[in-house]
Amino acid sequence: MRAFLQERWELVTLAVLAAAPLVVPALGGALGGQVTTLFVYCILALGLNVMVGYTGLVHLGIAAFFGIGAYVMAILTVPMYPFQIGWLAAAAVSIAVTAAIGLALGAPTLRLRGDYLAIVTLGFGEVAKVTLRNLEQITGGMKGLNPVPPPGAGLKLGGLDLGLAFAVDPRWFYYLSLAALAGVVVAMRRLERSRLGRAWVAVREDELAASAMGISATRVKLSAFAMSSAVAGLAGCLYAGSLSTTADPNAYDFNRSIMVLCAVILGGLGSIPGTLLGVAILVGFDTVLAPWADSWIQQLDVNPSGSSLLSFSGWRLAIFGLALVLVMRFRPEGLVPSRRLAAELHEAHP
Amino acid sequence: MPLLDVDDLEAGYGPIRALDRVSLAVEEGELVAIIGANGAGKTTLLMAISGVVPARSGVVRLGGRRITGLEPHEIVRLGIAHAPEGRRIFPRLSVRENLELGGFARDDNAQLKRDIDEACGLFPVLAERMHQLGGTLSGGEQQMLALARALVGRPRLLLLDEPSLGLAPLIVAKIFEVIAGLTARGIAVVLVEQNARASLKLAARGYVLETGRVTLTGTGPDLAADPRVRDAYLGE
Repeated sequence: MRAFLQERWELVTLAVLAAAPLVVPALGGALGGQVTTLFVYCILALGLNVMVGYTGLVHLGIAAFFGIGAYVMAILTVPMYPFQIGWLAAAAVSIAVTAAIGLALGAPTLRLRGDYLAIVTLGFGEVAKVTLRNLEQITGGMKGLNPVPPPGAGLKLGGLDLGLAFAVDPRWFYYLSLAALAGVVVAMRRLERSRLGRAWVAVREDELAASAMGISATRVKLSAFAMSSAVAGLAGCLYAGSLSTTADPNAYDFNRSIMVLCAVILGGLGSIPGTLLGVAILVGFDTVLAPWADSWIQQLDVNPSGSSLLSFSGWRLAIFGLALVLVMRFRPEGLVPSRRLAAELHEAHP
Repeated sequence: MPLLDVDDLEAGYGPIRALDRVSLAVEEGELVAIIGANGAGKTTLLMAISGVVPARSGVVRLGGRRITGLEPHEIVRLGIAHAPEGRRIFPRLSVRENLELGGFARDDNAQLKRDIDEACGLFPVLAERMHQLGGTLSGGEQQMLALARALVGRPRLLLLDEPSLGLAPLIVAKIFEVIAGLTARGIAVVLVEQNARASLKLAARGYVLETGRVTLTGTGPDLAADPRVRDAYLGE
């Protein structure tokens, strides 16, 4: 019954989000782009949740895979390269590449646990960012790569030029990202109940017992690594597509990884609705609420000196920190916890 | 040909040699007890058979096939279930999920369901607690779950490590009753126990392990009557 309600809740949310652009004209403007970014981060966080939530492996460099996804997409589609294979094909390649890089990073580091794996992924994140910045001939350095053409560029559907439609109306990308997000949520739900999903959780709970059940911990952890990376790669493709640029490599730095990790923890490790809510709160604050509040303050004209003390964005890290401290103090299992974590944290030991 | 054939097995941790040329054999459907003091190498022996601890030398064969050097998950698939010391159930998974994981290596879902029901028939309390999380069970119930979970894998050989540890006498009796019934179903058992008296009573044969070596072997009753065993392990 509870599972049924949860699914209903998701359907209602999906329906509201799908109808919103028809009702809220602002979504045809900058707000549409911001909400699209929010969807993209939801996908990224669901990817991270596979490793951190289900499998219990600490990952501090998810933004690197997000960035690699975006750059592979860009290299395969921007005019300065001869490939220009089209958005969808590029997305498929990009997901495959990020998954492969995930495997390549995972294979030698799988025996590490906890802090050590955290350090390796953190280091990888920094290395990836610096590499993207310094390989100027390939990645365009701090300028990034652009323009990434929208999906269906040059394709005509009836009288409609799809590429042009994507370019002028952010609602197209809004719907594309929403559809991708819905697809990822459905896939994650299925994974949770699959053999592989069970194996992830079993390895997180007790590796020795899991191998006594016939589960290969190595293979299971590698698959989690690959899955996280691939989903992050998909998010990167949507990100580069919706902005029509990779932006500069700093868009994929440590702060990004931490923000997504915080969102997963805040919402509830291993919980799909929790992860989505965590992103909605943290990233929503960062990309939608804070800019809106800033422009509002500006309009009020109470801050003529432009002091950052009077801007919301200047306080964002402090507010993140406070939110996390409060959640850890009062609801350590997250806002919408998975059943298991809640049980563990709120029970007297048997 | 014995079902399990351990030949001159050596294993250890760093400079410590925990098993020193251990040889033993278990026939199909036979219950074999391993007794010995703390640190004698009993747990290491089971872990070396199931592949959790690598063998340094020697050979383990299952049904004539060499399994030394295989990964634990491969050995499970060949029919050895290991119920490790300390029960090691998955605390945040439900009883049903724990049991389903016991059948992870299998791919016949309908039969698996029946086997889960059968395992619950052995321990009716598990059926009542099907949707409770493993970590919320009592110690005895957890041991029953660990045993049931191992059986769901349909092993030919079951390695049991200290199933009576820390449990009330009544529960120990219940668990030993089930273990005694396993051989009738054709499952061979290697039982490692501190409770030497009870395990020798069940066992067809037994081995005494001292600082990594087999020092005595014989039928269950013979060992139970042997003055050295009585003196050292039965406290008489």
